Amino acid sequence: MKIRSSHFLETGSRTIVPTLLVVSVFLLVVGHNAPGGGFVGGLLAGSGLLVVFLTGGGRAVEDLLPVRPATLIGSGIALAMTTALGGLAFGGSLLSSGKLDIDLGWVGKLEVGSALIFDSGVYLVVTGLVATVLLRLGDTEGARR
Amino acid sequence: MSTAMAVAAGALFAAGTYLIMQRLLTRIVVGLGLIAHGANLALLGSGGEPGAAPIVGGSTGVISDPLPQALVLTAIVITFGVTAFLLALAYRSYVLTDSDAVEDDLEDRRIAELSRKEAA
Amino acid sequence: MTSWFVFIIVGHGLVAIALALMGLKRRVAVLLAAAPLGAMFLWAITATVTGNVLDGGALVAYLEWLPALGVSLSLRIDALSLIFLSLIAGVGLAIVAFSGGYMKKADPPGRFLALLLLFAAAMSGLVAVDNVFGLFVFWELTTVTSFLLIGYDDRKGSARAAAFQAMLTTGLGGLALLAGLVLLSHAAGTTSVAGIIAASPTGGVVTAALGLVLVGVFTKSAQFPFHFWLPGAMAAPTPVSAYLHSATMVKAGIFLLIRLAPGFAGDPIWVPLVVSVGLVTMVIGAWRALRQTDLKLLLAHGTVSQLGLMTALAGIGSPAVLHAAVAMVVAHALFKSALFLTMGTVDSAAGTRDLRLLSGLGRRLPVAAIAGGLAAASMAGIAPLFGFVAKEAAFAALIEDDRWTAMGVIAVASIATVGYALRFWWGAFGAKPLVLESTSGEEGSTRPTAGLVIPPLVLAAIGLVFGAAPGGVDRLVSAAAPGGKLVLWPGWNLALALSGLVLAAGLLVHVQREFVSRFQRSAARWAHERVGMPSTERGYESAVSGLNRFADRVTGIVQNGSLPIYLAIILSVTVGVPAGAWAISGGGWQGSPWAFSAAEAVLAVFVAVAAIAVTRSQSRLAAVLLLGAVGYAVAGLFVVYGAPDLALTLLLVETITVAIFAFVLMRLPRRFEVRKWRIRGWVRGTVALGVGVFVAAGTLIAAAQRTARPVSEQYADLAPGAGGTNVVNVILTDFRALDTLGEITVVGIAALGVAALVAGLRSPTGGRT
Repeated sequence: MKIRSSHFLETGSRTIVPTLLVVSVFLLVVGHNAPGGGFVGGLLAGSGLLVVFLTGGGRAVEDLLPVRPATLIGSGIALAMTTALGGLAFGGSLLSSGKLDIDLGWVGKLEVGSALIFDSGVYLVVTGLVATVLLRLGDTEGARR
Repeated sequence: MSTAMAVAAGALFAAGTYLIMQRLLTRIVVGLGLIAHGANLALLGSGGEPGAAPIVGGSTGVISDPLPQALVLTAIVITFGVTAFLLALAYRSYVLTDSDAVEDDLEDRRIAELSRKEAA
Repeated sequence: MTSWFVFIIVGHGLVAIALALMGLKRRVAVLLAAAPLGAMFLWAITATVTGNVLDGGALVAYLEWLPALGVSLSLRIDALSLIFLSLIAGVGLAIVAFSGGYMKKADPPGRFLALLLLFAAAMSGLVAVDNVFGLFVFWELTTVTSFLLIGYDDRKGSARAAAFQAMLTTGLGGLALLAGLVLLSHAAGTTSVAGIIAASPTGGVVTAALGLVLVGVFTKSAQFPFHFWLPGAMAAPTPVSAYLHSATMVKAGIFLLIRLAPGFAGDPIWVPLVVSVGLVTMVIGAWRALRQTDLKLLLAHGTVSQLGLMTALAGIGSPAVLHAAVAMVVAHALFKSALFLTMGTVDSAAGTRDLRLLSGLGRRLPVAAIAGGLAAASMAGIAPLFGFVAKEAAFAALIEDDRWTAMGVIAVASIATVGYALRFWWGAFGAKPLVLESTSGEEGSTRPTAGLVIPPLVLAAIGLVFGAAPGGVDRLVSAAAPGGKLVLWPGWNLALALSGLVLAAGLLVHVQREFVSRFQRSAARWAHERVGMPSTERGYESAVSGLNRFADRVTGIVQNGSLPIYLAIILSVTVGVPAGAWAISGGGWQGSPWAFSAAEAVLAVFVAVAAIAVTRSQSRLAAVLLLGAVGYAVAGLFVVYGAPDLALTLLLVETITVAIFAFVLMRLPRRFEVRKWRIRGWVRGTVALGVGVFVAAGTLIAAAQRTARPVSEQYADLAPGAGGTNVVNVILTDFRALDTLGEITVVGIAALGVAALVAGLRSPTGGRT
């Protein structure tokens, strides 16, 4: 469904949506040290999906997503769960954290802590929730009037 | 906890309660949304006097209590999921029965009828 | 030593599980079930012989359970406990052996024996535990297991009804007992039973507590006016009746009476209440036993009567009388279980237990006749059986104590006891000239198997041995209740003369049975027509049905199917109870600052006004937009409170929520449906206002009561160590990550729910699903 084909919205969305998605990942990554994190990031990505949905309808959202929303949610929970068990495997208690420093050259150093992996799981689940809701509740095609 | 926060939370609870004590699911969803806001304000207010954002090294001075914030953050997202769920429920109810009203529980009604007959 | 006891009790449970699950052959199942009982019997004997129990000592062990509540399972096993333990295990062995032959071939023995073992374990725990709460738990466990045993034949409506009646009566009594025990332990300052008796507190509270305890005792031991459940419970299989309703369960009340008597016989309520209830019960039971034609009911009413006797003796409570009461418990357990089992043998051999239809079984069942004869003689108090010894001790003690009223009533009731003892034996085995000789009930089973005749014979024979040589038993009985001596030949004295008189009169009652039964019939008619005697059983029935009607009525009012009414009730209680408690506790109130900043005040007022506006809106869209406005204002408050993460999250959530609301509302009618409310507006308004005030005041009061430092203070120092400086995020992904994991799982489930709720609704012409 398209709410109304608006030229302005469509062009706008072409620049807005990638920006929103990039910023959402940024918020996820910096979340450990600045405002942000998996919840905020996931919701921002969801807002991006909302814009896509409003301009291109459910099909556009599905085209944008690499996998189905349910897969997003499932893999997100699995990722978070793995991190939790990982803490156990590496000798610590459940959910204890560890980290890995990656040198990204001119970008700077990225600390990939287990907390970041956990938060990525949260990010995926929240994005999946928004996607599910948009596709299920937003799509009126065939619905009764 | 400031009186202003408490009053805001109380007003949200009162309005939400008023809305959930009736039959239309859409109204109930709105009511639950208000109650959720009220609960979040109460939680946040319980952290005491506000300070700077709880980011270490971000600013000098006292920071706000981070624990209620963490609780509220998850509560917001949970509320979002529940709202979506209830809306789906209202929608389903409307499609199937032409109304999003919560009808009486028929089994319970039957028990009530039975006791009335017994009494008579 | 006590650890072995615990081990054996646990063994009861393990064997019961094995029996219930494994579907063993009958013979194997009986042998397996006998193992823990045999172990317990041997343990009791060993404990008696080796320890200092015979000198008045006790085996003590302390097992912690809920230390914070003073609840423990500490054990204190003294001579009285050991007497009961030997009876539970010893009679239990006989019952298990008997039921192997008695239960029908089609009936797999596993479940029955398992229940029997569980009951035995509960009963053993009851007599060994020292803590009042432990006592209550085991007390109720015997109630529950006896419910299952009485209702064992669960396809019979009468068995289910009897089981329910027994459980309701004894269960309610158990609650009274609990209340009484709690009051007693409070008054004595200890939860140990032995400690309470040693302290033996006095006063009005103690008297009330004893009243409650006695209600529990009277229900359990089928005392007037709760005596009706015991004859009703004869719907149980005969081995169950023999075990529960003669030797064990109903003795729990007597056990507690004997336990408490040394400490509380001086209380003003004790002697008058216990003795009069016991005597009334004894007379009623004896009277009814004489009228029965069903042998099992005869024994049931006889048991009620004997329990009355023991209650009365424990009620008098002087050392000599208590000593006799303990002896009576042993004697009764032996002869009554033997009588029940004999009756079962007769029943299974002849196919009936109606004494008007039985004749000449004495010749066909000589061993059973001997066993039944010995047991009946013991019940009647004929020398040299143990029943005689115990009854002589009771008579002598009563005379010695100048308890002439009690003595008189007991003597008269004992005449009836002799009468129904004779009636039992004559009814089961005697040759009646006008009745056809009984033929075999079950085809091909002309002779009962050894399993059916040996156990009652053994029990009856033990009664003979104890009677002929009472010295050994007396050491244990005297250790439990010092104050008397059991002897076979007391010499010529008043008690002996009284016994002789009772025997002669009882014989006369039996010989003149036609006359007695005519007299009883006309007396019953007179009581029914002239006096309109109230029946306690009728009272029980009307109480139960009245309770059911009341429950229906209440359910009809409070649970009438309307969700709004449910909510109103729940919320009113939620608000009313804490608010009432706050008001009662003095209504403490500390001032709070109005607001920490001007922005906070403005935003808070805006939130409140917008919230109230939502309730007034008649269109769905307006309601949703106002909800969004509230959300944005709340996000503003988050900013004021130094919570940028929250503000960001809430802004995004509100935006998406409004969009989704819009999607759904586009398909629903624009305006809210107008519905007739089941709740009037002012009721909803009042409840809502109450909730609002409660929340506002409650948060203010609670927040002002902080006594400990916030746990989150250290979080800010710990966060960098966990690899982050955003403390909120570190809490979510590290300190409290398990909560977050649970939360995203809930979110995922909500998403699945949305998908499932909407999925089926697509029309066939619709697009993607």
